[in-house]
Amino acid sequence: MSPIIENADVVVVGGGPGGSTAATLLAKRGHRVVLLEKETFPRYQIGESLLPSTVHGIGRILGVSEELANAGFTVKRGGSFRWGTNPVPWNFLFAVAPELSGPTSTAYQVERMKFDDILLRNAARNGVDVRENSPVTDVIADEERVRGVRYTDPDGNEREIHATFVVDASGNRSRVHQHVGGERIYSEFFKNIALFGYFEGGKRLPAPDSGNILCAAFDEGWIWYIPLSDTLTSVGAVISREHASRLQGDQEQALHGFIDRCAIVKDFLADATRVTEGVYGELRTRKDYSYTNSTFHRPGMVLVGDAACFIDPVFSTGVHLATYAGLLAARSINTVLAGDLAEARVFEEFEGRYRREYRVFYEFLSAFYDMQTNEESYFWKARKVTNLDTTDLEAFVTLVAGAHSGERALVRTFQAASDDLAGAVERTGSMQTTSGERMHHLFGTPVVREVMAEMNNIQVRGVQGEAARELPLLDGGLVPAPDGLSWADPAARPEEAR
Amino acid sequence: MNIERMRSDVAEALAEVAEEPAAFADDDNLIDLGLDSIRLMSLATRWRAAGFEAGYLDLAMEPTVAAWAQRLEASNVLEEKR
Repeated sequence: MSPIIENADVVVVGGGPGGSTAATLLAKRGHRVVLLEKETFPRYQIGESLLPSTVHGIGRILGVSEELANAGFTVKRGGSFRWGTNPVPWNFLFAVAPELSGPTSTAYQVERMKFDDILLRNAARNGVDVRENSPVTDVIADEERVRGVRYTDPDGNEREIHATFVVDASGNRSRVHQHVGGERIYSEFFKNIALFGYFEGGKRLPAPDSGNILCAAFDEGWIWYIPLSDTLTSVGAVISREHASRLQGDQEQALHGFIDRCAIVKDFLADATRVTEGVYGELRTRKDYSYTNSTFHRPGMVLVGDAACFIDPVFSTGVHLATYAGLLAARSINTVLAGDLAEARVFEEFEGRYRREYRVFYEFLSAFYDMQTNEESYFWKARKVTNLDTTDLEAFVTLVAGAHSGERALVRTFQAASDDLAGAVERTGSMQTTSGERMHHLFGTPVVREVMAEMNNIQVRGVQGEAARELPLLDGGLVPAPDGLSWADPAARPEEAR
Repeated sequence: MNIERMRSDVAEALAEVAEEPAAFADDDNLIDLGLDSIRLMSLATRWRAAGFEAGYLDLAMEPTVAAWAQRLEASNVLEEKR
């Protein structure tokens, strides 16, 4: 039997934050968008700690700020780290100083079942044709470009959607991304495994840090401790992949073993019990999660979120990278569909900005790992930037093509970023002290400045809308159109210099 | 880019955040008058477009027109030397 064939402007594969963001911002420009999600929402997902640009930038652009504010999510004002040379936790706060801590200098810890559902329902309200329980089985392409997808509908019928663009936001386990070509390059540096579960009754950091994520290093790795509600805590151990065999046996015992060797988390969980029922009752693992595809697009197709790349859980960058890419993809496709600029030009902007964001966070997170020194520990010795693996660097040099002059220069760049960061952390000092409340040392390091650049632009865009002004981020690059939903060529509009 | 432009941009930004924006002197702390982080980021971008290379952090550290004007003057001198 021949499949049922439909037409659309864009097919988005995957209903997570990246897919919902892209789909919503395409529909806002009036395009016909079909979003195919293989599961039925709400569904479980990991990656629970958000950054302000997602909440106050993307959230406002999508029009979900109020809904998010009313969802009861834990408010975080930053991250607290038992990490590096200071035996006392220190804070990375979103506000540079207490007097500048306004409503936009916080983010949320979210149950992804709720957060992702809010974003997906919002996409549908904006006109996206959302189809759940609809797994994509194949990508339709010819030599010239990608033309659409095949999927199975909830009744088991084979269907085809022909579209001008396919956005692959189908996550880390899907194979749809292979149709973009290139290869997936795994990072040797962040070659970790995560083992995670949920606890009731864990302690909290003292206010106003009680909503912060806590990341605590121990000999064999580090533990995330995310307060999802007053009583529910997400706890995950990030350890070396060499320990994979230990996770084959009793995972419960393994997780408790890691917790027992991480003093602050052990204390926080002293009176807590692990959740053993319902969606949070399972212990889960993730491995091989740090990778990037060598290309993010081909004519007619673009990768967004975990389908494209993921770095590491340590600084809550997963949802940021995904929603940022969703925004970039929507801008790019809206531009082409409007006939404003050529596809090659706008996707050069897409790839350039997305790669840049990946690169600056990769550098930042490498510096973060480098800060923790533990000569006795295999895990931490292997995660010094001076030990960056050759294949890792080669992959990285390929990605930032031309930006660096080779491996040695790259190691020096990473080492400098790491030294800057370690120095700034030392000068900032412990949490809840006078110096520890002020982030100018940290925000002043070149690597953090780079990390903040686009996140700040997105926040300003979210708050100021059309009044927001943005400069080209890349040499000779494009700028967002006044409504922020497509690209414009600044060279074509010289009168707007002011 | 000059100090007059700076003052008028600040007045505009303050008008966005305060119902009845107060008059401000060059050495008034603008954060105390209601200027927030978003407005500071936005000013930094606008001024960068006009050739004044001050970042958000620079503006946030010393939030007065007087301090920013000094920075502007220094950057203009640097520019002339080139």
